[in-house]
Amino acid sequence: MANYSRKVIADGVGYSTIIDPKFKTNKVQVMFITDLLKEAAAENAIAVGVMGSSNCKYKNISEITAKLNALYGATINVHVSKQGDYQKLSIGVTSIHNRFALEGEDISGEVLEILLDCIFNPNAQNGEFGNEPFDFRKKDLLDTIDAEINNKRGYAVLQAHRKAFLNENSGNSPYGDKETAGAVTSAQAYSAYKKLLSDAQVEIYFVGSEEDPSVEEKMKQAFSSLERKSVSNEFVALSPAKNDVCRYEEKLDVKQCKMVMAFKSDNEDRYAMKLMNTILGGTPFSKLFLNVREKLSLCYYCAAAYTPLKGAVFIDCGIEEDNIEKTETEILNQLEEMKKGNFSQEDIDNSLLSIANSLKGVGDTPSSYINWYYGCFIHDEVLTPAQSLERYSSVTREQIIDAANSLKLDTVYVMKGE
Amino acid sequence: MEIQEIYCAQTGDKCNYIKHASGLDIYICEMNGFSTTEALFGTKYGSINTMFKTKDDAEYTVVPEGIAHFLEHKLFENEDCDAFALYAKTGANANAYTSFDRTCYLYSCSDNYLESLKILLGFVQSPYFTKETVDKEQGIIGQEIKMTNDNPGWRVLFNMLRSMYHNHPVKIDIAGTVESIAKIDAELLYKCYNTFYNLHNMVLVLAGNVNTEEVLEVADELLKPCEDIELETVFPEEPYEIIEKEVYEHLPVGMPIFNIGIKCAPLSGYERLKANMECYIAGSIISDPSAPLYQKLIEQNLINSTFGYEVFDGDGFFTLIFSGESSDPKKLRDMLTEEIERVKKEGLDRQLYDSIKKSSYGEMVMESNNTEAVASNLISAFMSETMPYDQIKILSEMTYDDVMAALNTRFDTKNLVLSVIE
Repeated sequence: MANYSRKVIADGVGYSTIIDPKFKTNKVQVMFITDLLKEAAAENAIAVGVMGSSNCKYKNISEITAKLNALYGATINVHVSKQGDYQKLSIGVTSIHNRFALEGEDISGEVLEILLDCIFNPNAQNGEFGNEPFDFRKKDLLDTIDAEINNKRGYAVLQAHRKAFLNENSGNSPYGDKETAGAVTSAQAYSAYKKLLSDAQVEIYFVGSEEDPSVEEKMKQAFSSLERKSVSNEFVALSPAKNDVCRYEEKLDVKQCKMVMAFKSDNEDRYAMKLMNTILGGTPFSKLFLNVREKLSLCYYCAAAYTPLKGAVFIDCGIEEDNIEKTETEILNQLEEMKKGNFSQEDIDNSLLSIANSLKGVGDTPSSYINWYYGCFIHDEVLTPAQSLERYSSVTREQIIDAANSLKLDTVYVMKGE
Repeated sequence: MEIQEIYCAQTGDKCNYIKHASGLDIYICEMNGFSTTEALFGTKYGSINTMFKTKDDAEYTVVPEGIAHFLEHKLFENEDCDAFALYAKTGANANAYTSFDRTCYLYSCSDNYLESLKILLGFVQSPYFTKETVDKEQGIIGQEIKMTNDNPGWRVLFNMLRSMYHNHPVKIDIAGTVESIAKIDAELLYKCYNTFYNLHNMVLVLAGNVNTEEVLEVADELLKPCEDIELETVFPEEPYEIIEKEVYEHLPVGMPIFNIGIKCAPLSGYERLKANMECYIAGSIISDPSAPLYQKLIEQNLINSTFGYEVFDGDGFFTLIFSGESSDPKKLRDMLTEEIERVKKEGLDRQLYDSIKKSSYGEMVMESNNTEAVASNLISAFMSETMPYDQIKILSEMTYDDVMAALNTRFDTKNLVLSVIE
C-alpha cells in the first residue's frame, strides 16, 4: 500500500496525497460534493461539464483536446454521480509521467496548469460561460438524460431508486430532469459554478509515483483566495421504509421483463449489512445466483446491491413475464432463509474471501486508491483495506441474521413488454 | 522448457513466453508492486468458427449458431460441482466470455493465485455435458439472448454487420438465437470441445503479482499433453461489396443511435495489426474532437460526446466503425463521407497526425500500468498471431505516408453502411 495523507488546505477543502512508486501516471482529481437537489442538479452538471471541456486559454473541446493529445494523450474526465443524498461532481486529469516524454516535455506541469485554468479560469465573461462549451455540455446533458432508457437494466434500477427514495434527495437523478436541464441558461450554470467553488465540500486527490508539492501549493493558493465557508455534511441518512409496499409497473417495447425489489434497513452496522448482502446476492455462489438462476433457470442475472449511505438493498433481475410472481416469491424465500439463519459457516467464509479479494486489490489502479480514501472520508474514518477486512471478519453470525431481519420490502418496480 | 524473455524497447516493459511441452503457449508478465493477479485461459474459438474439420475428419462439420458461447457456460459445470463453488474457496473473482474469435476463462485475485490457477486449468480441461445440464442452460441463455436483444448498442452493431457481410459468420449473434441453441446437445458440445479446446489452439496468460517458475510448476502438473489435430476452420466466400447501404430498426432509445461502418478487405497476422493501427490513426485524425469535422458536427448539433471511432477486425473481417447518437444520422454520414474524400485529396493534417500519434503512445504507456490491460493485450497478441508489444513497435515505425496509404486503400466510402436505431 501507498503512503496516504489528507490535510485541510482551505475551509471545506481536503487535499489527499497517495504516493505509490509503481505508477507510470499522475492523476489529480477534484470532487465537489453538494446536496442533490432536483432544481440544482442539472445546472451543476452542466457547470462541471463546461469546466471539463474548456478554459480561458482553450476555448472549446477541440482546442483543449488538441493540447491534451500533444501532451501524450493526457485526459480530462468529468464524472457526475449520486452519493446517497448528495451529488458528487468530479473533474480530473491523468497523464503519463514525465520520464516517458519523448521530447523532454514537462507533461505533468502543463496538465496541472490546464486543470487549474479549467477550474479557476473557465471560458466565461460577464457572468456567463462561453457559448460553445455551454451549448455543447447542455446538449450533452439533455442527451444523457434521454439516453437513460437505452440501458434497460440501468434504467430499471434508476426507476426503482426514484420510487424507493421518493421525496428524498436520493430519489433525484444526479443529471437532473429534462425540464430543469432544458431551462438552464448560461448565466445560471455560471452561478452554479461559482456556488460550487464557494459552498461545496471539495476533496482533492493526487496519485502518483512521487511527491509533487506544486499540486498542493497551487490548489491551496487558488482555494484559499476564494471566500469559502467550512462545510459539514452528514453523508449517511438511512431511508425509512414505507408502510405499504409501493408497486410500480411500466410498459416498454422490450423482449425481457425487468424486476427490481428495493428493501430498506435501519441497521447501522454496514459491515454486517454488506456481508449479509454478499451471501444473499453478491457473488456467483450466492443464494440468489444458485437458486433463482442455476436451480430454477429463471434468469441470466439476479443480484443484490447494498447502498450503505441509505441503508437500502436493491435486488434486480431480467425474466419472462410469466415468471414475475414465481421469481418474486423465490427471492423473498431466499431472504427468508437468511432471516432464519439458514446459511452455513462456509457461506460466510467464502463471502469473506470474496470481500477480502476486492479489498486487497485496492491500490492496483489510481482510481481504486481514490475511491477507497473517498469512501473513508464520507464515512468519517480512515482505515486501510486490511483494517476494514478485520471489521468484516469480526461480524458474527447473529449480526448477519439481524441484518437480514432488518430488511423490509419497500418498492417493487417491474418493466414489461408492450 | 525454455523461458524466452520478450522486451519492449519503447517502454522497457517485458514478459516471459514459454512454449509448453503440452502444446500450450504461455505468456507471463511479472509486475512489481501490484497485488492483483489476472489470469486468462483462452481458446481461438468464437462465434465465427461455425465450420471446421480436423485431420481425422473427411468432411467439414457445421454447427449451430451460438455453440461456442453455450460451451463456455457449460464448461463451468464439472461432474461433481460448479467451478464457481471451487473459486469460492480461494476468493478469486472468476468469469468467462465468448467473443467473435475467442473464448476466455479468467480470474482476478489478490491471494492464493496458484490455487485458483489449479482450478482454472482443471475445469477447462474436464468437460462434463449431459442432456439434463444442457436442457437447464437453455433457459438461462435464452434470457441472456433476450437481454442483449433489448440492448440498442448491440442491435445497431449486428444490424450493420448483417447489412455488410453476405456470408461471413461475424454477422451472427455471439449467443445465437433461442431457435439455434435449441439444436445444441451434449454430443455436439463434445465435438466442439474436442476440436477447439486442444492445447495447441489455446493460450494461458498471467499478469500482475505472479512468479513464472511457480506458474510453470502448476502447468507441468496439470496440463495434459495434446496431439496436434491440425485444426482447419473455414469461412464461406465473402464478396468485397456490402449488401445494403442503410438499415433501420425501432427500439426504445432517447436520441437515435448509429453505427457507420466501412467494410474493408480482410487481412491476417502482423499485416492486419499494422493496417488496424494505420486505420486507427487515419480515422482518429478525421473524427477526433481536435479535428475540424468534429467541430462542424458540434456546431450543427449532429453529435454529442458519445461520438467515437474504432477498428473492428478478426479472421476474415475488417471494418471501420464510427458510432454515437445523432438527431440526423444521414446528414452526419454525408458529412463524414465528404470529409473522408476531402482528406484523401488534400492529405491528412500533419499536425493532427503528430499529436494523435503521441496520444496513442501515451495510451499504451497508461495501459502498461494496469494488470487487466496487460493481460488483455497479451491474449490479443496470441489471438491475432502477433507478438506482445508489436503494437507499440508498429506505432514507433509508422510514417505519415503509411497512414495516407491506408486511408486511400481502406476508407472506401462506396462500401459504407449506415445502421440506425430510432
